[in-house]
Amino acid sequence: MTGISVSSARTGLCDPVDISGHRNNTAISAATETKAGEFNVWGNSFAAEYLPAGGSLVHVDGVPFEFPPVCDGPDNVRCAGQYIRVPEGRYDWIHVLAASERRCEESVELNFADGTVDAEPLRVSDFWAAPAWFGEVKAFESLVMHYPHHVQRGIPAVMWAQRVPVTRRARLTGILLPRNVAVHVFAVTLQRTEP
Amino acid sequence: MTVDVTSRTYMITGPEPELWYRDLISCLQATFGSLLARAGADPLEVLGAGWRFLHLPGDVRSEEFYYPCPPGESQGADLGAALAPHHELHARWWQPADENDVWREVRETLAEDRLVIAAVDNFHLPFRPAYGDVHAAHLVVIYGLDETRGVVYVSDAMPPAFRGAVPIEEFLRSWGSANPNDVQDAFFSDARIGRRCLDVRLGARPAPLTPELLGGYLRTDTDGFTTATSARTGLAGYDEFAAELLDRCRAQDAGALRELYPFGWGMQAQASLHGELLRRCGHQWDDPALAGAGRAVEAVAHAWTGLRFTGAHGLADPRAAAPDIAHHATVLRGAYARAVDAVGAAAARL
Repeated sequence: MTGISVSSARTGLCDPVDISGHRNNTAISAATETKAGEFNVWGNSFAAEYLPAGGSLVHVDGVPFEFPPVCDGPDNVRCAGQYIRVPEGRYDWIHVLAASERRCEESVELNFADGTVDAEPLRVSDFWAAPAWFGEVKAFESLVMHYPHHVQRGIPAVMWAQRVPVTRRARLTGILLPRNVAVHVFAVTLQRTEP
Repeated sequence: MTVDVTSRTYMITGPEPELWYRDLISCLQATFGSLLARAGADPLEVLGAGWRFLHLPGDVRSEEFYYPCPPGESQGADLGAALAPHHELHARWWQPADENDVWREVRETLAEDRLVIAAVDNFHLPFRPAYGDVHAAHLVVIYGLDETRGVVYVSDAMPPAFRGAVPIEEFLRSWGSANPNDVQDAFFSDARIGRRCLDVRLGARPAPLTPELLGGYLRTDTDGFTTATSARTGLAGYDEFAAELLDRCRAQDAGALRELYPFGWGMQAQASLHGELLRRCGHQWDDPALAGAGRAVEAVAHAWTGLRFTGAHGLADPRAAAPDIAHHATVLRGAYARAVDAVGAAAARL
């Protein structure tokens, strides 16, 4: 099997999840309005011109994601224990587009229809000119960093594609995000168990 | 690169300083790393060999390069010994003795073919992102001085990495800055720079790292974590630190969170380097338990992110942040306990 067909097969098993109701932070800004971004406490943000169009369907390593709005209100979920309900079903992977204000290891709690709950790791590398410490795929990279008062060359901002395993062979109903303001989730896609 | 072209030009011999960097370290480890690499040592082996917890109440300064130095060690605070307790690394702060010739000691050090680490205020340095915007205390390496051309040669591995000439006048403004309180950076401003510099010396060249040698380091450090002392050291010291942090947050004391960020950076950086070294050694020596212990120490570094950044975001209302501070302090305590257990087990077999 070729890489392309593997990707195609995976794409067919993937369903983007609507997280619009949970977005509470703006991490992407226009060069003309860098103050609008506030990814971290210093007001740094991703440069919009290096990122996909808001609301577009993007594919990263064969996984489709619904890219968040760009320069049109909150674009990510800053993790504060939000509970994301998902279409009940059997899944193998939870794929996320995420970034962290520093390299971070957290866990998400997976809730299942039979009442069971499993904690699984969510590991996200630093967004600030850093390598993929946890083996993520670099999904998107802003080649400049936005500061409140200027555009900084030489410091890229990185958005990672990470995945969380669903090890339990049960029907997933929801995902409880961690209580960690450093971790930002931009998109979530579920990969169904192969029939 | 030239050597002492005129009496007003001083430049180190050999290549420019290495830009040594990891994403969890600060300018403190980065500058020391550059100096160690030039001395022929592996920065990771030296800066990653030790792993301790030490909190000194009332000692934390709002500087990116703050690091707790045990009092009384080697006749006073020795930043080198604190960073590399298993090596003959020593560092002491100094300031120019003569206000009328502030470059004298820099010239002398460069003439000895040694690098200088200098404290600066990012606000006045053209290559720093904060230039003309935010005051923040930072460290850079000086590797040359050309008073004829009016430039000082500076190396800075922190992104965006820079190596090159800076006009002396601009550098002097940065080096002598009052670094006033800046609302845009509550953690690294409000600490006078005062033309401070570090004199760093590496005594004996580090011996090749062997399992026996590393095992000795690890046993010393795990003893340090599990033996209570009169100072805030080890796991007991962490518990004291965390309890006080939480009490101060509940009392709406923003100072507790202003101190948490720079203090935690030192502890986080140290854990990340120690974990990386153990993981590397475990891989090279085919010792999965040692590699796993390294990964457990790295998890400590990662858990510091939650605590430090919860504090940073909670600065405006520490009382409201207290429940999340408590959560992350508990998570970090668990990470420390697991890592000490894993390192102790690995050390016993080395």
